[in-house]
Amino acid sequence: MRFCLLDRIVELEPGVRVKAVKRLRPDEDYLKDHFPRFPVMPGVLMLEAMYQASAWLVRQTEGFAHSMVILKEARNIKYADFVTPGKVLEVTAEILKQDEALTTLKTQGTIDGNMAVSGRLILERFNLADRHPSRANTDPYLRNELREVLHRLLPDAAA
Amino acid sequence: MRWFWIDRFVEFERGRRAVAIKTLALSEEQFDGYSPGYPVMPGSLIIEGMAQTAGILVGELLAFAPRVVLAKIGKAIFHLPAVPGDLLRYTATVADVKSDSALANVTSHAGDQLQAEVELMFAFLDNRFPGGPLFEPVDFVAMLRAFHLYDVGRTSDGQPLVLPPYYADAERAAQAAYEKIPSPVVR
Amino acid sequence: MAVTKDEVFKKVQTALVDALGVDEEEVTPKATMVGDLGAESIDFLDIVFKLEKAFGIEIPRKELSPEDILTNADFVQDGKVTAAGIAELKRRMPFVDFAKFEANPQVREFSNLLTVGDLCRYVESKVGAA
Repeated sequence: MRFCLLDRIVELEPGVRVKAVKRLRPDEDYLKDHFPRFPVMPGVLMLEAMYQASAWLVRQTEGFAHSMVILKEARNIKYADFVTPGKVLEVTAEILKQDEALTTLKTQGTIDGNMAVSGRLILERFNLADRHPSRANTDPYLRNELREVLHRLLPDAAA
Repeated sequence: MRWFWIDRFVEFERGRRAVAIKTLALSEEQFDGYSPGYPVMPGSLIIEGMAQTAGILVGELLAFAPRVVLAKIGKAIFHLPAVPGDLLRYTATVADVKSDSALANVTSHAGDQLQAEVELMFAFLDNRFPGGPLFEPVDFVAMLRAFHLYDVGRTSDGQPLVLPPYYADAERAAQAAYEKIPSPVVR
Repeated sequence: MAVTKDEVFKKVQTALVDALGVDEEEVTPKATMVGDLGAESIDFLDIVFKLEKAFGIEIPRKELSPEDILTNADFVQDGKVTAAGIAELKRRMPFVDFAKFEANPQVREFSNLLTVGDLCRYVESKVGAA
């Protein structure tokens, strides 16, 4: 998974919360453009880190019941500080509510304990078989691939 | 991974409305292992494309003088996933502009379908952040030209957009300097 | 037809719920913007956009954010706002009750003064609500 915005998951309490970290490496390619004279992590990548942590929490909570866990809505994502090269963004997410298809989470990212970004996310869970019958065989494949990624991010996760 | 999340502008009316396109290709890095077997475009990168469309619309209105950064995503809604082969069309309109911030609304369409919509707030960095412009002027101009900004861009009177003086001067000075660089000599 | 104070409150409440992501029940007249509702400077930019749009008014930055008074050496001494400074604040923001602040006019406490009610009174003065 190349577009992985997490270095590792520090804690994961199924059904409750997740904590993960991402260090902004000074040699990240996109820093050349964002910005040439003031390299900082793009705000949307801070959002992506919060979304990815949230998605792992959701998947592990439901035992990977759904292969697809995508971002449906982001609300009041406000940025309080920049992540500069070398700094670590610690993201946390808490499940607020969940129904058959949607999970609402409260998320935030901090740098050295100070708030850098916060907001709410709604994630949508589904299996390809439900929407695209011809893709039903992708579900188990995708679930398996994602389980392996989670295992690398959180070695202690129950398989 | 470079940080260009639009391919080019197809319409651009100063201070009012800009339309940019983003083609999604399976070969792009963000699809690599993101959702194997059924690649989808990360929502965050769609928001970034929409922010780049709106940010340049706001910046151009202000002659690219302020340092425009994303401060808040009010609400972003994704109606359907975007997948490789889609051509996303981002339409940005300026809701309000002040001396230190701006508000914009942007939609993303895949064909006729509304794929996503977002309300974005930008802040202009003040002198708590020293260090001048975020981009080198000459590279910035090259980027805007690559986005076809000065090919499709129009003022509200329908006149073609031109570079603000600061950037035009920087481009001119650079070109004068290029003249002076001797060509490699083959012996 | 003139806008009533009730209508002002409802619209201010909606703007704050949208901007801050708080619940309607939390937005009461006595709630402080910073302490109770968690508003930060980025939020104030957004709130101004929303109030201007909801009421068709213009809100100059200085009228809600008296940074210039709080950083002026004539009005601040040893981290406390002077009597002259307080007079200036009262002139700038007549919709705020400064009684509690006057008892302990620490500059850093200022941001926690503004209540939802103050914001409503400010909007009322701009739209001439009955």
